[in-house]
Amino acid sequence: MTTLARSIPRTVKEIRFHLCQTSPASRGVRQFILSSYSGIKASNPDLKFLVREAAGVEPKAFVRWERGVESSTGLSGLNEKDVASALNQLVNQQTVGKA
Amino acid sequence: MFARSRFVARRAIKFGSGSRTLSTTLPRRADITLTVDGKEVTVPQGTALIQACEAAGATVPRFCYHDRLAIAGNCRMCLVEVERSPKPVASCAMPAMPGSKVFTNTPLVHKAREGVMEFLLANHPLDCAICDQGGECDLQDQSMRYGSDRTRFHEITGKRAVENKDLGPIVKTSMNRCIQCTRCVRFANDVAGVEDLGTTGRGNDLQIGMYVEKVMDSEMSGNIIDLCPVGALTSKPYAFQARPWELKKTESIDVLDAVGSNIRIDSRGVQVMRIQPKINDEVNEEWINDKTRYAYDGLKYQRLTTPLVREGDRFVPATWEHALETIRHGLINSGAKGDEIKAVAGHLADTESLTTLKDLFNKLGSENLTLDQPFGDSPPATGVDLRSNYLFNTGIENIEEADAVLLIGTNPRHEAAIINTRFRKSFLRRGANFGLIGETFPSTFELEHLGQSAKDAETFFSKPGNGTFAKIWKEAKKPLIIVGSAVMETKDGAAVLKAVSKHVLANQARFLNQEWNGFSILQRAASRAAAYDLGFTPSTTSSSVKPKFIYLLNADEFDPTTIPSSSFVVYQGHHGDLGAQYADVCLPGSAYTEKSTTWINTEGRAQLGRTAVPPPGASREDWKILRALSEVLNQPLPYDDVLALRDRMWDISPTLVRYDSREIPSVELTKLGLQVLSENKTSQASGEKFKKPIEDFYRTDPISRASVTMAACSKAFTKGDYVPADVDEGATAQASYA
Repeated sequence: MTTLARSIPRTVKEIRFHLCQTSPASRGVRQFILSSYSGIKASNPDLKFLVREAAGVEPKAFVRWERGVESSTGLSGLNEKDVASALNQLVNQQTVGKA
Repeated sequence: MFARSRFVARRAIKFGSGSRTLSTTLPRRADITLTVDGKEVTVPQGTALIQACEAAGATVPRFCYHDRLAIAGNCRMCLVEVERSPKPVASCAMPAMPGSKVFTNTPLVHKAREGVMEFLLANHPLDCAICDQGGECDLQDQSMRYGSDRTRFHEITGKRAVENKDLGPIVKTSMNRCIQCTRCVRFANDVAGVEDLGTTGRGNDLQIGMYVEKVMDSEMSGNIIDLCPVGALTSKPYAFQARPWELKKTESIDVLDAVGSNIRIDSRGVQVMRIQPKINDEVNEEWINDKTRYAYDGLKYQRLTTPLVREGDRFVPATWEHALETIRHGLINSGAKGDEIKAVAGHLADTESLTTLKDLFNKLGSENLTLDQPFGDSPPATGVDLRSNYLFNTGIENIEEADAVLLIGTNPRHEAAIINTRFRKSFLRRGANFGLIGETFPSTFELEHLGQSAKDAETFFSKPGNGTFAKIWKEAKKPLIIVGSAVMETKDGAAVLKAVSKHVLANQARFLNQEWNGFSILQRAASRAAAYDLGFTPSTTSSSVKPKFIYLLNADEFDPTTIPSSSFVVYQGHHGDLGAQYADVCLPGSAYTEKSTTWINTEGRAQLGRTAVPPPGASREDWKILRALSEVLNQPLPYDDVLALRDRMWDISPTLVRYDSREIPSVELTKLGLQVLSENKTSQASGEKFKKPIEDFYRTDPISRASVTMAACSKAFTKGDYVPADVDEGATAQASYA
């Protein structure tokens, strides 16, 4: 997790997670948040890491870069490790705002 | 007020804990079946017969009975016939019995109702034509439906005459019309906590009053006007203003505190004529506070109706185009870059405009999104990452289940009067116990004062001592800690949260489970929960930047020294209050009655307000102003209509558009949130005393500050400066212009 925490570029201003409180499709995202939240916050104190739970929503991650550019990726049914790598890919993508 | 709290305490001792009223609701038991008008109906045991009749679809007329009040059984209008009963029975005071046969539509019942009606009308004045209750009067309606068609009243002595009482600037009395149903007395005692409204005398001489000449000092007093089935208690500010049939009714949401009370806005033409409660059992039941009800006249005064541009030391009316161009030039000339562009979100900003403002400022490269509160320039102590850290997690409807409540730095009576009434209910019915750390206030329930400062809070959790409340707290099955929003506006905020979260985590089994969450933050501003949900907060680095361009969105509570004189300031809002004074450009927005927008209450519940009247003059809906500005600033936002904007809000947080429901954070993430708070590196809690954030309940925001009624209430109740008028003299004065 620490690698992901360190590899978040400074241009990333906000990461948002949508997930469901109960559904199995959100389990991986929840595990990821529980295990890596403090690590990510410790290395990126200025990063907003908004966790928004709502019943039945599709688990998703949104990333906002500087100047309001956003992209997102679906995390439905992924396990904790896959969530980490999907997020890693998302924050480090070269063509921001295209995805 | 001292006398009152002593009285509360005495009552509590007298009745013991657990039952502080004479009548309490019975716990739910097995269902029973009975027959009403030949129709079988199944209701829980202990249900009043009148409710069983309602369940069977038979309407029973009533005056004194009200579902949310104690049962009195004194009007006798609800008489029904029960098989094998020698006389008709009052269905409100009679429990439904299994197997009984009830008739609500027999000649005996008709005759009984007609008789009761005749007795009530014998002493009721025939002044319907000049009575404000006309058109919504239970007595009028029921005499038409159930009463006799002719009078037998030929008394030479005339009707009973009762002197009017002056209850203050809100409730107007006309006691001749009183039918002594005692709904107001029961409300004042059980819900509002004004135990000195009562009855004197018996029979024909029974009178309702305060015993001595004094005002009814309660923030809930307006509700007795709604409860009064006749025109004895009517509204002073609304006296002779309109008739119910000429009003357009719009269901909406109140924004003057963070409870999100459901209201009905009655308007005529472009004017809001009055505000009434709308029933929502999950939020405000059937009540609203007096500010919600009577601050509406503030919507008429001090309004910004046209864009204004500062020229020297005066404001010049301008076109929208000119005003927006001036802002563009102001932004360029100020040379503001990145975090030097600062936004301040006030108490009355709606969710749509907050979203638009955040998106626009993010596009301009700024993260400096601050809140209109002390310490609003730095990230909030609660954090905004996990929703359970800043919401009222317990839920408003569930707080009645708490057996021990610890209030930290909050006065629920003024910050959330509706929540306070629920506490009064649980105090009376369930014998809940309350402790307070913070500034004292005249409470409507018994409180044990445990301390004044953050340090006292820490001490209470580490060494609770041997006080009565401390003992109860240790044993409580459903303990509840409520931290007031003002605590986070002091330097001790993080320390208090740390102590609280440690305590909650150490007692997880009692505080956090699937049924109960005993950790709640009480917000007091309507926009705050929405701002946190959106992530409308500054970053740690942005707070150290000196702003050059400031955008005030409904911000009227800030400290003027936080605005550098060299900066370019834009104010967007509906009232010319503090914010407009410091502005270079004022943009007229709409008030809450003039726009259909989303409001997130302190529980995180999304509710949709609705447009009752059009915005005055050239003012516009707030999010549209910001959308237009984004175009002028060459950063167009990707949404053109409100549906696209709400799609964007879904992308930010689905909870913002899940209307009328509450998305409760899961227990796991709630624990994570508490862990984050408990591991916070923070300085020691100081011994500085907590201060009440609301000194004057009736003047808290631009709308209530502009309201004449609220000014009168502030004078009468907050300052205690009210000279009871000679009521009969007052009546003649009113009659002259009626």
